[in-house]
Formats: sequence, C-alpha cells, structure tokens
Amino acid sequence: LPGAMKEVVLWSPEEVTHWLTENAAPEYCEPLKSFTGRDLISLTEEDFKKTPLCRVSSDSGQRLLHMIETLKMAHHMEAHKNGHANGHVRVGVSGAAWENGFSGKTKLNGMPNGFKKEMIKIPMPEPERSQYPMEWGKTFLAFIYALSCFIFTTVTISVVHERVPPKEVQPPLPDAFFDRFDRVQWAFSICEINGMILVGLWFVQWLLLKYKSIISRRFFCIVGTLYLYRCITMYVTTLPVPGMHFKCSPKLFGDWESHLRRIMKLIAGGGLSITGSHNMCGDYLYSGHTVILTLTYLFIREYSPRRLWWYHWLCWALSMVGMFCILLAHDHYTVDVVVAYYITTRLFWWYHTMANQQVLKEASQTNLLARVWWYKPFQYFEKNVQGIVPRSYHWPFPWPVLQRGRQVKYSRLVSDT
Amino acid sequence: MNTIETAKLEEHMEGQSNDTSNGYSQPTLSVSEENKNSTSKPKGLSNGLRKTTKKYPDYIQIAMPAESRNKFPLEWWKTGIAFVYAVFNLILTTVMITVVHERVPPKELSPPLPDKFFDYIDRVKWAFSISEINGMILVGLWVVQWLFLRYKSIVGRRFFFIIGTLYLYRCITMYVTTLPVPGMHFQCAPKLKGDSQAKVQRILRLISGGGLSITGSHILCGDFLFSGHTVIITLTYLFIKEYSPRHFWWYHLICWLMSAAGIICILVAHEHYTIDVIIAYYITTRLFWWYHSMANEK
Repeated sequence: LPGAMKEVVLWSPEEVTHWLTENAAPEYCEPLKSFTGRDLISLTEEDFKKTPLCRVSSDSGQRLLHMIETLKMAHHMEAHKNGHANGHVRVGVSGAAWENGFSGKTKLNGMPNGFKKEMIKIPMPEPERSQYPMEWGKTFLAFIYALSCFIFTTVTISVVHERVPPKEVQPPLPDAFFDRFDRVQWAFSICEINGMILVGLWFVQWLLLKYKSIISRRFFCIVGTLYLYRCITMYVTTLPVPGMHFKCSPKLFGDWESHLRRIMKLIAGGGLSITGSHNMCGDYLYSGHTVILTLTYLFIREYSPRRLWWYHWLCWALSMVGMFCILLAHDHYTVDVVVAYYITTRLFWWYHTMANQQVLKEASQTNLLARVWWYKPFQYFEKNVQGIVPRSYHWPFPWPVLQRGRQVKYSRLVSDT
Repeated sequence: MNTIETAKLEEHMEGQSNDTSNGYSQPTLSVSEENKNSTSKPKGLSNGLRKTTKKYPDYIQIAMPAESRNKFPLEWWKTGIAFVYAVFNLILTTVMITVVHERVPPKELSPPLPDKFFDYIDRVKWAFSISEINGMILVGLWVVQWLFLRYKSIVGRRFFFIIGTLYLYRCITMYVTTLPVPGMHFQCAPKLKGDSQAKVQRILRLISGGGLSITGSHILCGDFLFSGHTVIITLTYLFIKEYSPRHFWWYHLICWLMSAAGIICILVAHEHYTIDVIIAYYITTRLFWWYHSMANEK
C-alpha cells in the first residue's frame, strides 16, 4: 500500500500493528501493540528469549526478524550492514542440496540494488575442492587390492593344478569350437602378443591422461575383482585340460617350497606362456587372457578421444583376434572365453554407469545397481568424483614441451577514450 | 522509484495469491509402492490452505503441470510379445538339451569332474526333490502374488523378458562346451543317433513336464552349465521380494529360506556342479538388478 511507505522509524503503533497483520504475524500484535516503528526495527534475538515474546513466537522470532530486515532494506537503512543478513536460519534447503558435497550456505543478498520484498533463498554451491580430486592414497589402496588378488589367483592356480585329472583319465570335454576348428600351434603366441600390445598401448595412453589416479583406481578395482571372481570359479570345479597337447607340470604333493617357487615364477612371468612361466593346468574357467584383452580394450576405448576411430578399430581387432586365437590354439574351452567376456564387460559397464551418475552413488529403493557386494568400497573410491571424468590429456613429464605454433602474446590495448 | 517498485511488487504478490493455481503435488512413489493396490491421488491444495494464501503473501505458488497421460500404461500387447519371446527361448533350450545330450561323454569314459562341494558333502538322494518342491512352491507363490498386483502386465512383461534372456544365455553356455555328468548316480537316457522323431518326442516330454525330475520328464543329461533350477528359484525370489509390501518381512524371510534351501539341495544331491549354481546365481541377480535399475531411472 503506498500509504505505508513512509519511513519505518516514523511508524506509529497502529501502523506497526497493521504491518504485522498484513505480513501474517498477527500473534505479535498483542505483545508489540505499543511498539513504534523505531522499537520494531531495534528488536533483536535477545528480545525473543524473554517474555512476552518467547511465549508467542514459535521460531524464536526468526521469521519476524527476517521480515523486519526486509523492511529495513526497503527503506534504505544506513545502519544495515551486508553481513547482517547472513546467519539466518536455513529454511527450505532440502537434503538434495547437500548430496553433491556442496556446502549450501544460504547467502541472503544484502545489496539494496535490485532487491525484492519477497526473498527467495537460493543455496549457492561453493565448490571448495576440485571436482576430480586426485586422491592418490585411494589409488594406492586399489593397487594393493589388485596385487593381492593377482597373488591370490596365482596361489589358487597352484592349488588347483594338483587336482586336475590326468588327461588319460579325463579326456578333453566336447567343445563346439574344437569340433569345427583344428588346433593351430602358434595361435596362442599371437594371442599373448596381442595382449601385450594392448597392455602397452593402454599404459602409454594412461600416462597421457590428466586424471591418472582416478582412472587407474578404476582399472585396479575392476581387474582385482575380476581376478577374485576367477579364483572362485577356478577353485570350485576343476575342468580337465582342453587338449591332449597340454604338458602340465608334475604334481607336487604337499611340497610347499616348490609350490612357492612355482608361484614366484608365475608372477614373474605375468602368467604368460610366452615367458615360459605358465605350465600349470586347471585355470580354465574362466580365461584370464580374455579378461585382459577385453578389459584393456574397454579402457582404451573409454578414455581416448572419440574421433580416433581408427585407433579404436585397431584395438578392437587386436582384442578379437586375440580371443579367437585362444580358441584356435585349443587353450581354453569356448565357455571359458564366453563367460570371461560376459563378466568383464558387465562389470566394466556396471562400475562406470554407477560412477558417472551421482544419483546412483546413493543407495535407494529405485537404485538396484547398489545391491552388489562391492557397493560400499565403490562408494568409498568414487564418492568425491563429481561427474564424468573428462578425457583430458597432458604431457606427463616436466620437460619443456616443444613449442607448437606461435605463443600468444598479450598486449595492453591502449584505449583512446 | 524504489518505493514505487516495492509497491508494485506488493500488489503483484497479493494479486497472485488471489487466484491460486490448483497444482498437483506429485508424490514421488517408488515403483514398488506403485505396484500395490494404491492409486496415486493427485493432491490439490486443500480449501483451508487456499484461503490462507491470501493472508500469507510470502507463500510462493509453484505451478505443477497436470499429468495428462497415465504413468503406467498397461500395454498388454507388449506383454504378449515378451511372453512369446520367453516361450520361444524355453523351447529353444529344450531343443538344445536334446542336442547336447547326444554329445555328453559316457560316465565311464569321462568321470565326474573334481568339485570342492562334492569333496566335503556326500550325496543325499532325496535332496533334489526338496529343491524341486521348493521351486514349485516359489513359482506358485509368485503366480498368486502376481494375480494380486495392480500392474500385472508391466510386471509380467519384465518377468518374461528376463527369464527369456536367461534361458537364451543358458542355451549358449550349454551348447559350446559339454560338461560330463556330475555324479555316477546319473542315469541318462540312451542316445538316439539321428532318430528325429524320437527326439521330438523327448522334447515334448520335457516341455510338458516342465523340465523337472519329479515329473519324470528330465532324463536327459548335459545341461549343466548353468543350472536352470537355480535360475528359477533365484528369479522367483527376487520378483517376490521386489513386488510385495516392504513390511512383509516374514514372507520375504520364508521365501529366502526356501530359495537358499533349494539351491543348497541341488548341490547336496550332486545334480549340478558348484560352478553351475554360482554362475546361474550371478547372471540372474545381475540381469535382474540391471534391468530394474534401467527401468526405474528416467
């Protein structure tokens, strides 16, 4: 009402009462009925702690104080300080604002310019830390996890080797691929060479990535979990050797020293036949070679620029040829390769789907992806990563980069005006 | 100028509060709650609230768009397609079992593979009947529960699709590599080398008996990786739990116990390798959770 727009300090008690009623604070009319405008604006929180105001106010006068602030601003009070507006009760900030780790401090805009009488609190996110923190400590943990899974796998292979039935007693199982394709002797070397090329390419690519620690953390987590699963499937049921060409090392019945030596040899050789470290049998379901081939390809493709399609095709071809050669060499059953491919792809996609969407990082009724057993560790690793990790690259070494092109020189524009 | 601005704003606010837009407040119900018999009632502003907005001009009305389309259309024809898909895959599995049966090595030539569970626990003969009875009870419970659901067609569609896909995967894994029989107690039907008519008869017998040993229809060997019994038991439990009220904890517990007992009894009866059961459990749970997460997120 235009008539009420005279200075607050000049308000009479009637006008104060009128204002209180207009602004939905009729409960204060009675205790404040003798208050003039000046008394109104000098109300503080202390007053609301004493009678009679403490009896009528349900929120220690917060709302009324806030309205008085608005009133003061509307009348350009000189005494109004910007900082005075802060610290008001955070009304209306739902839990959703806190999810992303933003500290949602509701700042009331104390500037008189562009003010509105009705204040809408907008929680301003204050990203105090980077969206993609490095957190090398977590990466180290993931590395330890992957390493222990590798060692555990090696131990399991050594244990399972003792239980593989000899190929005379238990001939190779019928396999649809083996029926159609005869064995090619050098095929397994191709597979292993492809695997080594892919791992090398992935390593070089990883060096060029900007967010190395996050991505390698993911790699270690996934590869560790895959090898852990592999331990279980290898151990529970032992498949016989897939072909009569296998030359399995003799069994060591309880000789722990030789066991250890074999384990060391396997780890040192990386589990590859090419290095001569893998002459133990029994680790068929599921195929570790397929896991590495598929996983490196998935990571290479995920974390390289979209337009390098020829690079992706090359890696895909390497991966596919590698998997085909495993079967061609009759070194694994077809079901080993199929199951390995399935588990690797699903785990990779599952992990990255959850990592890319903030809403899936909280367990809820609708989020069934959270029911996997590794959800809590996943949350620990990924909770500070906000959003999709961008594919940024940088030169990893602190050498001076070759000067490409002209250096942009900035000069001050001399203005005539 | 500023006071005039404020005055205009005040008038604007009062004017706005007078014609309150009757917006719906959409209660965000989860899918599981929706599938009960509750109907989502659009809540309009109650009469009392509308009156008081005049007195409290600092309330801000947020206009909610009225939902003109039903959120959960029944679309029975899609359920029909899913049903056909599931039936097709079931028949394909049956054909595949018959084909694979011819390739299973005889148990004298290819003894049962070493299995950790079998090393520790000896065979109990009647355990497999328990497993199948549990499976039948769970399926029965699920059908009854499904009849009570409001959105039958949607839930049925999901069930048919998931089970069809699981049986399709099963066809692939059964076919590529043939595992030998898990125990010497197995009595596999004789091989019919090329006798197509007898094969068709076997297929029909298997389908009509539902693939259960109890009905005497499952005399064929070779369908070990992965276990269809585990798939059914796990999947019906997952569906029962997902589409029943949250507070029926005793019901969920009973179903879980039956499910766990059924799966363990498969192993105790030496009817499947441990790896078959593990892989079946893994694939079933992952597919179920994956499908429903995608279905629940927009």
